[in-house]
Amino acid sequence: MFFYYCDLAWRSIRKTPMLSMLMVLAISIGIGITITTLNVYKTMSYNPAGDRSEVINSVQLWSQGLDTWDEFSSNMTYTDAMNLRNNNELSFKAATFRTGLAMQSDNPKIEPVLQSVRVTDRDFFKIFSVPFLYGSYWDVSVDERPAYQVVISQKLNLRFFEGKNSVGKTVFLDRKPYQIVGVIEDWNPQPKYYDPLNGAFNDAEEIFIPFSLTAQEEFDVWGNTSGWKFEPMLTYNDRLLSEKVWIQFWTELSNQEQKQSYLAWLTRYVEQQRTMGRFTDSAKTPSELVQISHVEKWLEDNNVVPKDTRILVGLSLLFLSVCLVNILGLLLTKFLKRAPEVGVRRAIGASRGQIFSQYMVEVSMIGFIGGVVGLLWAFGSLTALHAYFEVDQSLIGLDMSMWFITPLIAISTAVIAGIYPAWVVCRTKPSVYLKAQ
Amino acid sequence: MLHIKPILSSLMRSKSSPILLLLQIILSVAIVANASFIINERLSLMQRESGYAEEQILTFSVYNFDPSIDNMKQNQVDQQILRSLPNVIDASYSNMLPLSDSGWMDRYVDGPDEDTAKSTPGFAFYLGNEHLLNVMGAKLIAGRNFSADEINTGLDDSGMLALVSQPLAKAFWGDESPLGKTMYQGTQTVTIIGVVDKLQGAWVDHENFEYSVIQNIDFGGSSSNKSYMVRALPEHIKGLEETIRKAFHAENPNRVLDNFQTVAELRDRSYSNHRLMATVLSIMVVLLLLITALGLTGMVMFNIQRRTKQIGTRRALGARKRDIIQYFMVENYLICIVGGVIGGMLALVLGQQLMSLYSLPMVPVIYPILSVIGLLVVTTLAVIVPAAKAANISPALATRSV
Repeated sequence: MFFYYCDLAWRSIRKTPMLSMLMVLAISIGIGITITTLNVYKTMSYNPAGDRSEVINSVQLWSQGLDTWDEFSSNMTYTDAMNLRNNNELSFKAATFRTGLAMQSDNPKIEPVLQSVRVTDRDFFKIFSVPFLYGSYWDVSVDERPAYQVVISQKLNLRFFEGKNSVGKTVFLDRKPYQIVGVIEDWNPQPKYYDPLNGAFNDAEEIFIPFSLTAQEEFDVWGNTSGWKFEPMLTYNDRLLSEKVWIQFWTELSNQEQKQSYLAWLTRYVEQQRTMGRFTDSAKTPSELVQISHVEKWLEDNNVVPKDTRILVGLSLLFLSVCLVNILGLLLTKFLKRAPEVGVRRAIGASRGQIFSQYMVEVSMIGFIGGVVGLLWAFGSLTALHAYFEVDQSLIGLDMSMWFITPLIAISTAVIAGIYPAWVVCRTKPSVYLKAQ
Repeated sequence: MLHIKPILSSLMRSKSSPILLLLQIILSVAIVANASFIINERLSLMQRESGYAEEQILTFSVYNFDPSIDNMKQNQVDQQILRSLPNVIDASYSNMLPLSDSGWMDRYVDGPDEDTAKSTPGFAFYLGNEHLLNVMGAKLIAGRNFSADEINTGLDDSGMLALVSQPLAKAFWGDESPLGKTMYQGTQTVTIIGVVDKLQGAWVDHENFEYSVIQNIDFGGSSSNKSYMVRALPEHIKGLEETIRKAFHAENPNRVLDNFQTVAELRDRSYSNHRLMATVLSIMVVLLLLITALGLTGMVMFNIQRRTKQIGTRRALGARKRDIIQYFMVENYLICIVGGVIGGMLALVLGQQLMSLYSLPMVPVIYPILSVIGLLVVTTLAVIVPAAKAANISPALATRSV
């Protein structure tokens, strides 16, 4: 029966080619626009942490003075980062910031490259599940006593060591020798959730070095440094001792209990720091000065999805609803035109339900064709976005789920538009049309 | 004579299709009004004058990774090299690049006591030497530029001088001239010696985008990573990158030169999100009008087919072709105007939602009005073709079939 209806629907679509084309056009354009914006939105709002989203937590401290910033900063001071690193209650913890260094190897034929570098602790690799190709992260003692060790990416390993296992070899960062302890596999989470502050869709760094080197090597900060009061920063030591915030801090808390006990620890920490003249915002109690954010909240707080994208999704859904009303009108027109035919079928013995389902099959077919064409539109517009605007490559790939979502939206749009016209036409009284013949 | 009454009563008899049309027009007006408002807002953001000779300024970064390099000396040598290159008009160190989305922000206070002094609004904080103004192509409208012997190299030196942008001067001192005023940063004093007509900062979306200060510090000696701006005529910019690379590497090979971009390119990139938004929304508006028009044409055509007999009868009874066309036009305008009024109100409500959710400014009433007018034009075009076809229906048709 279903295939018979399909056949009938196809005949009916072909009988009014202009009207059918108009409907397919309307639905496909609506779908094309909606899928384009939805796809960009979905990629941007993707949470790369997956089921570890609740476990991976970033720490924020309200170290600013009274009446200065009215939000938690995503970064913290060096002093706080050091104190939090030294807290042994936490099993996994990592302070991190971005710098840049020129990389060279013994081979003089390979030109030096200026690379963006992540300065962090060894737990960073565990917290963010960074996959290793060769070797591993540095020893836990390195986080305490600085050593010139480095983890590099597979790509750099290919460039400098022809892809061979380079663990134990030496590279030069700013002409200082570092020993390679590990090579990681391709790892580039999008959005770059461990540091969305310097462009949430930038590529991940390819060189990782110990945070414990910071004070002696005085790495430049390739990220935001913000201050809420005037503090001259003449030397690197001024930076380390200042109230300026520039370091992110990550930890792993696997359940509510751990979170509560860590928050309690942080509160005690702030109380203790207050006695030393820090955390001067007297309008807040110590427990209000600390916050931990799981990945979901962290991405939200750092506005990884720009408001423009949300507006576009909203407007494109409205656009789709205009298309829906448009199709509704056209379907009504078309079905009513066929009322005499329905009258005859009813008189011969077709039930209302049969007439209704026949027309629903027809609108679903129109919806399906519209969806397929719409997917082509979306594909074209995403490619155009990449070609003409600096939209990141990672944002324009059609998400897998769209192959499922598109026909779903397209067919349900068409079905919603089709219900009323089909209902009107199946209520046709056979007698009226039989008389008129 | 528009014969509104018979049109209304015929609309009331078959309600569903005019209601659908009405709904479509309401939604279209709401979307078009808000979209065109956002488009206009973005376009006016993008059209702001920067005050820089954008096409003539090439910017790039240098990273000296050899620890034995004396950055202070190297900075001076490098600038000499840049200025002596053929076709280069002028060159200067700058701690930040205009419209580049990254840079320094700071503020001054007007007294030595932090607690009582009044603070200026936050401004983009350019550090550079006496060449910077010329490289930027910015126009000094009062006071004077730094002279070569007034340039400092560290943030804690004495004898700090500053040039401020006109909008910043207006915002803080009003009509008073800022020249000669002493400002404070901690215990340090800064004297204002010049006002620059226009000097935009780094962040195009920042509310203090037009507020900037240039202070007399050549900070290029402070670290191994620095940026330079070189001014040359647009036709010479292209070959300049290669020339600079060669000259710098001949001087010392232990450095990485990168990020060669003109300020025009920086500007393009900074505004790319706005350009994207304006383009996508414009396409949406055009497609929306297209779909509405096509849908309308389709429906009018059907109505004409259904009413062939009536139209024929009317013609037979003496109605002119004009009357038939007028009938369809008036019918369309009635629906459009009712839809426009409701849609306009919906547009304002939608605008209010956007405003509260995304802190967008409120949609001015003119946008819904313009959208309705635009829609009237589009629907006129959509209706006139089928209506003219209807007017050609022969009166004889009315009598032919029973």
